[in-house]
Amino acid sequence: GGEAGMKRTAPRATLRRIIRKHKPELRLAANADLLVHLSFLLFLHRLAEEARTNAFEDKSTIIKPEHTIAAAKVIKHFKY
Amino acid sequence: SLQPLRAKPIPKSLRASQRKPREPEVASSLIKKIFSHYAKIKVARDALKIVEKCTERYFKQLSNDLEAYSKHAGRKTVEMADMEVLLRRQGLVTDKMPMHVLIERYLPLEYRKLLIPIAVSGNKVIPCK
Repeated sequence: GGEAGMKRTAPRATLRRIIRKHKPELRLAANADLLVHLSFLLFLHRLAEEARTNAFEDKSTIIKPEHTIAAAKVIKHFKY
Repeated sequence: SLQPLRAKPIPKSLRASQRKPREPEVASSLIKKIFSHYAKIKVARDALKIVEKCTERYFKQLSNDLEAYSKHAGRKTVEMADMEVLLRRQGLVTDKMPMHVLIERYLPLEYRKLLIPIAVSGNKVIPCK
């Protein structure tokens, strides 16, 4: 929930191009790119929530680079 | 309808990008919009630069993972099942949080309509019950 107001069109062609750049031999089944978009949204959601927590702990009202870097470090399956 | 090959006049602003093709990447404006939406507080410009860098690395990792999962299944194509494995490995899909719930929660209706029947039949949720 809470998604109202945000335009949510997935950049489908771009997502496919990005994966092709990394793995030229890999094919994506129809609509699999939409799930790539979903995982990307959830990744940014996690990163944003973690960064916001870091900002609060820092008594900052704005998310700064260090809050984001620290957030990226604690997210599993992702090494910044 | 054979037309003589004639170079179309290209606006100056576009010429530079045609000379050097850009690396494919998610538009920074979109990253900013999504991240700021979830952050709910102000985000410094430098912090968004970090998010962009994280995004690049995220997709690199994702591509590696997807290749590994599809290879493991003896395929060259990433199927929905591989995507579910990915989301499970990322801890996003769990026994209490099925993939279709995430789809319903995060994706707009037009995409949900494309995904839900596939996801359900791929999961064999209906035949098993």
